[in-house]
Amino acid sequence: MFESLQDKGHATGVHLRGARKSFGALEVIKGVDMDIGRGEFAVFVGPSGCGKSTLLRMIAGLEDTSDGSIAIGERDVTHEDPADRGVAMVFQSYALYPHLSVYENMAFSLRLAKRPKAEVDAKVREAAGILQLADHLEKKPAQLSGGQRQRVAIGRAIVRAPEVFLFDEPLSNLDAELRVQMRLELARLHKALGATMIYVTHDQVEAMTLADRIFVLQGGLVQQQGAPLDLYDDPSNRFVAGFIGSPSMNFLAATVESRNGSGIRARPVGQPDTAFDISLAAPPDAGTRVTLGIRPEHLVIRGDGLRVTVDVAEELGGVSYQHGTLEGGEPVIFQQTGVRHGMSGTVQTVAPEEGRIFVFDEGGGRIR
Amino acid sequence: MTAKRARNAAFSGIILIAAAIWIFPLYWALTTSLRSENRIVSDAGVLMDELNFSAYTSVLSTSKLPIWYLNSVATSVIITAIVLITGMMCAYALSQLRFPGRKVLYLVVVGSFMVPVPALYVAQFVLMSDLRLVNSWWGIILPQLIVPVVVIVYKQFFDAIPKEMREAVLLDGGGEFTLLFKLYLPLNWGITAALAIITFISAWNNFFWPFLVVTSEDMMTIPVGITQVNDAFGVAYARMMALALLAAGPVIVGYLIFQKRVTEAVMISAGVKG
Repeated sequence: MFESLQDKGHATGVHLRGARKSFGALEVIKGVDMDIGRGEFAVFVGPSGCGKSTLLRMIAGLEDTSDGSIAIGERDVTHEDPADRGVAMVFQSYALYPHLSVYENMAFSLRLAKRPKAEVDAKVREAAGILQLADHLEKKPAQLSGGQRQRVAIGRAIVRAPEVFLFDEPLSNLDAELRVQMRLELARLHKALGATMIYVTHDQVEAMTLADRIFVLQGGLVQQQGAPLDLYDDPSNRFVAGFIGSPSMNFLAATVESRNGSGIRARPVGQPDTAFDISLAAPPDAGTRVTLGIRPEHLVIRGDGLRVTVDVAEELGGVSYQHGTLEGGEPVIFQQTGVRHGMSGTVQTVAPEEGRIFVFDEGGGRIR
Repeated sequence: MTAKRARNAAFSGIILIAAAIWIFPLYWALTTSLRSENRIVSDAGVLMDELNFSAYTSVLSTSKLPIWYLNSVATSVIITAIVLITGMMCAYALSQLRFPGRKVLYLVVVGSFMVPVPALYVAQFVLMSDLRLVNSWWGIILPQLIVPVVVIVYKQFFDAIPKEMREAVLLDGGGEFTLLFKLYLPLNWGITAALAIITFISAWNNFFWPFLVVTSEDMMTIPVGITQVNDAFGVAYARMMALALLAAGPVIVGYLIFQKRVTEAVMISAGVKG
């Protein structure tokens, strides 16, 4: 399947070494090293302004690299033009050529490259077949729905059989239902083509569901990289812990009450009746101020623990999220399954499951 | 209801009267051109009561109308083509390329908009004379090639094209020429047509510059040629009107064909000129 498109698509890796980007005095990418493997689906995720799109545009060649190097496969492409890098990009706004038909949009790059007419036609029709666009080839972009336009944008990338596909928040303009559908289609496409794909999103659900590997960015630096579940299970700092997982992790300021060889006993600030025993390989000294991180899905209702006054309950059917506050006013969310009638207005005592507390130092680094 | 109908009828009446006043000179020119010279200066009434084509046959057989047509068409077409191509390229550079002095250059273009063209006639005439271009097509054409409004309008429209489209073309392997001729120009055919019409009409109607730079009858454009009929035949009203109508003919036909575009062009031009 898709052989002619795969033949030319020499999927290859992408390697960044000390990549930096400055706009005037403002440094937005502050020295990024990364290796994206051949055929891998890598996702750059992070909040607005973290530099993820800039990094993608640097790989595409749409932004100059101020320092460091970018290689695609064995080739150093740091100073090459976008068209010579063997990449294709799908933009958030689709960036379709409005005056051209779907067919002409998809054929544009091949015609510029002066490929034989028969080859152009075969590739466009094959890509259209993959993307269910065969019936729309003569239409103009304005006559298509949002999802179809996004497919055309993907088709335009596919026909070039690039070494690397780049996606810049491609699903952001779609409605929720279509986004889920397109997400699945992208996953299938990746499987079918076996191409290297780099995908930028601020939506961590997209990141978790699509990625072989996630790169979490903040402040122009890669905070952590790894498989989605590795990031979820073992975040390296407070930022990653808070960013990966939905709803976000609860953070409680705490003080180390005592330490022993295998861990600490930590007491959340303002909770005189509650302390947690946590196993750590390198426990901090007694008296150290730390932050405890507990995911909403790891808080269970028990006889002893944190007393949470629930004020809002989000009922999602299968699960519900109870939003409340501790006595000191700190916000806490915990997840419940099978609770159909809200706990809103009640006081619940919750405690984390065994081994499900993360500890962070005052700088946000993980204490393991 | 009746009051409203009466108001509408009154309004329509006023419009009809205004239209009649507006069209009367054209009607009068046509009527005059279809009369004998003697009749015109004796007892000419308002009604068109004579169909005498002698003025037309006289003008067509004795004047250099076909050559003036050729001169007008050739200079206007060349001016339009060069103004559009250079204006579009200049606007593209100012809009899309990043180079030192870009903003200053744009200010110069905008500033040149404020210089009244007649103020340049003497300098331009001396220049054309030095270049030995008096009495030539290029003498008529060159000074009319500077049309800042074309650059300003194109730049505004180029600025509005999303950056991602430009980047998509760059990734697809296109360069600046591909961008200009396969993206920016096709996306702006409407405005190109409008600018072409403005430029063509302005060049076609230009009287004063061709009148200054051309003295040979063989190089005259139609507006200048009309004055020669006056010289050759004395006060020859019928022939002058016949020639004026023949001169206006292609423009009227062109207007009827491109009516919608011309209206757009005038509106764009008015919008930019404020």
